[in-house]
Amino acid sequence: MKNFRLAPYLLNLPLVILSLIFIAGIVNGLLQSFGLIPDLGLYEFTFKYYLEIFKRPDLLGSIGLSLYISLVSSLLAAVFGVLLSLLIVMTGKAKGLTMNIVKIPIIIPHIVVAFFVIAIFSQNGLLARLMYSLGLISSQTDFPALLYTDNAFGIILAYLWKEIPFVAFFVITIMANISSTLGEAARNLGASQWQTFWHVTLPLCLPSIKNAFLIVFAFSLGAYELPYLLGATMPKALPVQAYIEYMHPDLLHRPYAMALNGIMFFVSLFIVVLYYRLLQQNIRKVNGSE
Amino acid sequence: MNTRGIIVGKILLACFALTVLIPIVVILVWSFAARWPWPILLPHSFSLRGLQEIFGGYSGALQVLGSSIVLSLIVALLAVLIGTMTARSLVFYNFYGKKLIELGTILPIIIPSTVFAMGVHVLFIRFGLADNVVGVIIVHLICALPYTIKIMTDVTAAFGGKLEEQASVLGASPLQILKEITLPCLLPGIISSACMAYIISFSQYFLTLIIGGGNVKTFAVMMVPYLQSGDRTIASAYSLVFICSALLVFVIFEKTAKRFTKNGSNYFFV
Repeated sequence: MKNFRLAPYLLNLPLVILSLIFIAGIVNGLLQSFGLIPDLGLYEFTFKYYLEIFKRPDLLGSIGLSLYISLVSSLLAAVFGVLLSLLIVMTGKAKGLTMNIVKIPIIIPHIVVAFFVIAIFSQNGLLARLMYSLGLISSQTDFPALLYTDNAFGIILAYLWKEIPFVAFFVITIMANISSTLGEAARNLGASQWQTFWHVTLPLCLPSIKNAFLIVFAFSLGAYELPYLLGATMPKALPVQAYIEYMHPDLLHRPYAMALNGIMFFVSLFIVVLYYRLLQQNIRKVNGSE
Repeated sequence: MNTRGIIVGKILLACFALTVLIPIVVILVWSFAARWPWPILLPHSFSLRGLQEIFGGYSGALQVLGSSIVLSLIVALLAVLIGTMTARSLVFYNFYGKKLIELGTILPIIIPSTVFAMGVHVLFIRFGLADNVVGVIIVHLICALPYTIKIMTDVTAAFGGKLEEQASVLGASPLQILKEITLPCLLPGIISSACMAYIISFSQYFLTLIIGGGNVKTFAVMMVPYLQSGDRTIASAYSLVFICSALLVFVIFEKTAKRFTKNGSNYFFV
């Protein structure tokens, strides 16, 4: 079997077919965003739809909101995820009950997490009831509106609940390895716990932390569920706004939907390219110092 | 590490664990609450209204749950199969376009899913894959594959393949090698990637909604209107059934796996 020359190509055939469907979908969407929709009688390549989006304050608001949600939630998720992973490694609880609890958010879907946030943080939610019974507030309206607001508190909170364990899960294997080998060596050579973490463990974990950040960022930029269930009416996050334009009865709205998608696509592409640039530089730095 | 540091660490870790557990306990209580008006902290009385709504038959939730589980099982099976094949080619072979394949395995997690959903929907309408189950299975599969391929690549690389060669030298047939060596060695990876693919498919809301177009009703699609409605008992009951059914499927995966090997370890929950 291993000497069969066509084997790797045959093994990859289903993935290649699915990847082609995926790429065809993306390319098709992008072509439509540039005004190429033969079905609607649009044949001319144009930047018109992008330019119009940048002239509409409500759509600019959507772009800003989505970037804000993704950046804040992914950065916080990365920081707390690393902290969580460090705590688990430090206390030696990489197996057993604690780790199983940390895995729970991975199997709970975003739509249910949105409901968690509603049940606890809405104005008649559990937190408001707790504050009422402690005498801190005297009615529902005294409790600050945390959901459906333009600071996207509820959305970011829900993302963090899902993503902190995800980042920790992504980083913990390598962190446990480093900590038990190189970290041990550093401490034997007299480094403090803090020095070991800051100068040995963290730099070596950085590639997988960056990877986790990238995945989480792209996901939250393009996910529909949470901003749909927990977002304010104005401005709407990019995926929600794009879907509204997409489902508009007037088909001539479709290029706008695709242009909003195009913006999401180019932002995530930019982040990925930036990431690989940094990666290459790091490799060169390492090779150069040898 | 001083002991005081460890104690602080354990306390912080317990806080993390509580943050995960509290919402789950809250919906557990909500799903059995009969009346729980503002501002009381615990419900006055309990009832089975929420679960009756789901299991009562007239809502049709049970049929949707059943077909949703079958759909996600199909996705999990295909994802494991394709993931194992791709992992094998990436670990054991050098071939033209290997870098491209590696890029292809991560694209779906780097490109925002809304972009993919709408672009592919337009294509699927043309090819008759929109509004039907096959189209939904394809898009779920595309979302799940990056994870199953990653897991299977790690497991395949760790397993190496030396054992297969030995068996082959000793005269085992390819089928025997597959059954006696390859499958048992890869089993931990197969179970965790099956769980991963299953939960990704079972949780999809937006992709199923747009590609299935209302024709393909999954449990996730069905429960969203209830989650948005003010009736928290029903919403909690749906959430609870969702989580429990997923856990049940995972347990069945593990039990099935254990029947094939004598290895008694758990895979998803270590």
